[in-house]
Amino acid sequence: MNIAELQAYGYFALVLLLVVVLYSYIYHLYSTDKKKGGHDYEKFSNMALNDDIGDAPVTPMSDDKEK
Amino acid sequence: MFHWLEKHPFFFAVGVFVTIAFAGLVEILPNFAQASRPVIGTAPYSTLELAGRHVYIKNSCNACHSQLVRPFKSETDRYGHYSLSGEYAYDRPFLWGSKRTGPDLMRVGNYRTTDWHENHMKSPSGVVPGSIMPAYTWLFKNKADINTAYAEQLTVSQFFSTPYNKPVPMKDGSTKIVKMGASTAEANALALAEAKVIAADMKDQDVKDAVANGQIPEIVALIAYMNSLK
Amino acid sequence: MENRPLEYDYTVAKMFMFTTIALGIVGMLIGVILAFELAFPGVNTILGQGLAEFTNYSRLRPLHTDAVIFGFTLSGIWATWYYVGQRVLKVSMAESGFLMFIGKLHFVLYMVVVVAVVASLFLGITTSKEYAEFEWPIDIAVVVVWVLFGVSIFGLIGIRREKSLYISIWYYIATFLGIAMLYLFNNMEIPTMLATNAAGESGIGNWWHSVSMYAGTNDALVEWWYGHNAVAFGFTVPIVAMIYYFLPKESGQAIYSYKLSLLSFWGLMFVYLWAGGHHLLYSTVPDWMQTMGSIFSVILILPSWGSAINMLLTMKGEWQQVAASPLIKFMVLGSTFYMFSTLEGPIQAIKSVNAIAHFTDWIVGHVHDGTLGWVGFMIMAALYHMAPRVFKREIYSKSLMVSQFWIQTLGVVLYFTSMWIAGITQGMMWRAHDEFGNLAYSFIDTVTVLHPYYAIRGVGGLLYLVGFLMFAYNIYKTMSARPVEESELQNASPMGA
Repeated sequence: MNIAELQAYGYFALVLLLVVVLYSYIYHLYSTDKKKGGHDYEKFSNMALNDDIGDAPVTPMSDDKEK
Repeated sequence: MFHWLEKHPFFFAVGVFVTIAFAGLVEILPNFAQASRPVIGTAPYSTLELAGRHVYIKNSCNACHSQLVRPFKSETDRYGHYSLSGEYAYDRPFLWGSKRTGPDLMRVGNYRTTDWHENHMKSPSGVVPGSIMPAYTWLFKNKADINTAYAEQLTVSQFFSTPYNKPVPMKDGSTKIVKMGASTAEANALALAEAKVIAADMKDQDVKDAVANGQIPEIVALIAYMNSLK
Repeated sequence: MENRPLEYDYTVAKMFMFTTIALGIVGMLIGVILAFELAFPGVNTILGQGLAEFTNYSRLRPLHTDAVIFGFTLSGIWATWYYVGQRVLKVSMAESGFLMFIGKLHFVLYMVVVVAVVASLFLGITTSKEYAEFEWPIDIAVVVVWVLFGVSIFGLIGIRREKSLYISIWYYIATFLGIAMLYLFNNMEIPTMLATNAAGESGIGNWWHSVSMYAGTNDALVEWWYGHNAVAFGFTVPIVAMIYYFLPKESGQAIYSYKLSLLSFWGLMFVYLWAGGHHLLYSTVPDWMQTMGSIFSVILILPSWGSAINMLLTMKGEWQQVAASPLIKFMVLGSTFYMFSTLEGPIQAIKSVNAIAHFTDWIVGHVHDGTLGWVGFMIMAALYHMAPRVFKREIYSKSLMVSQFWIQTLGVVLYFTSMWIAGITQGMMWRAHDEFGNLAYSFIDTVTVLHPYYAIRGVGGLLYLVGFLMFAYNIYKTMSARPVEESELQNASPMGA
């Protein structure tokens, strides 16, 4: 097996892996927020809108142990 | 998993890095295994040619002139045989350029002479009416840096085994030996010997006098480099 | 002192705002000079024959590219980082003496590098590799500056109050990592002073000279992997970071789809680096890499447009703001130019199109509709947004902003249209054959024909520079304009007449 062949197998495996990761990420993004206890991604926009130093953080550091 | 990553900057950064580095790993790294081998007829640059190459780089000639003939009829008609990878084996750095404001110079040594370059560098529009290239008059006064060129020869022969003082195969079956000095003094002497050949074909009296006095103006080195591009 | 409420500290942001403007003027001025040198070669000796070495096109060209990339753009990136970073992480730099010190050191060392770069490029000390012209001593200094930037990013993240990282922070992190990797690998070089000869001499020649570790085709491959992605991580990634913060903030609208912004982020990170091969089509790099470069360039449209469309849709239902606010105008036109140039790029990366476009002014035109229209507009918009908040004063003049916007837009349009025509004309003339199969035009024919387009381009560039000077003046006058209350700074920036 030469380097080009190795490259080809490696490339195929990685493409497969990436497809799986990409689709599971899309599934994750668009399904979790609807369920209870999931993450509402859209609320993260507020990090820019309410960014005064006195504003409450969207996910405060003290929430560390929530799960 | 994904959400966890979004809250942990270190692992997030690792993830980003892997994603970014991926292409380089797959695309670029394997090619380095097949190191660029010189084609027959490609020899390393002599000390004077290398000094000329430094003049070329110092003045960013590559900002306007490419050194890459693409495999199209219109290009091979205009500039000669299309470029082969092995022809660049001793080019550190490569000088392909990205913009052809002036013509390609990959094989300029095949169709331009010392005399032509001398006139052209003094007054480009005098030689080529309508040319927008500026004149490079200071090349006739500034002296070429032979020592730095010599140091580069030493470096590439030590670190990359560039074959100086060794026979290199030529297209006609013969071999050619490109000499590199054993000391700075010898390197300067070699460069001067080469410079004298170039200066003999030139008209500028100041340049001729300088070479006769053992000095090498930048223009002489540059022309030596251009003549070597074939 | 102790009883003052905690505030964001913009000291370092202010320093970088200053260099953004100063180096922007320098870089663009040199650009305009270069443009006129091509149109009217007499400009090459504008300061007389004696100084011609330092004013001619080829010596100035790297100065232009490096001044606008590593001067204007990089300063803009850092000015916004030291502003946005604090705000979305909800932590002030005043809270950490260490980070404040790092920030100031970052700026001081950066200034040292800028001076070294300007001096060395004027003297012709260059490695010739585009956007990586600096010799090894400067490279080392650049690495130190970059590490300080990294310390600043991760230091600020380390003491944050907001646990989640806002999308802009993602992009700043990617900028840091991407450029770090690319710069290091592309600048692998050996100082020639290290060599010794048989006579035992060492340290021969100029101490700053170095030789690339890669030769020929490999060197080209690494250089364009770098060159293409320096554009990605200098002109795209951090500018997207800016617009994801400044457009929602200025307009008061939440991002249209935060999820789409995340998807586009990962898409951009993955796809961008493959596309470098499109700079080397029909060269001597392996064919499969060229094809890969072409294909991924086309795929790149998806994540790029993902971000751009997300931005435009953020303005959904709020389009009256575009008419009302020149600041929003800059950002919306910026996203539009982003969409435009990320469509144009892939078209040029198609092999048969590239056969005509490569080596011509069309490429130059493409670069400039991205940099002038997208990068320049976005950085100026960011600084306009920051100025009232940093100086606690309203922007000096709204009408000046409006005229600047239209002058610069006209400049950009003149620039890219003339370069399109010039590039395609020249590309077609190079390959034209007559009925006997001989080349129809000598090379000089294809140069003289470009004169009117070069002249128009020069005017376009000049208009953009004039607009930039108006911007500089406006920001300068802002520093002494009417002071404003905190409450005026919620969203839309306050502007004087």
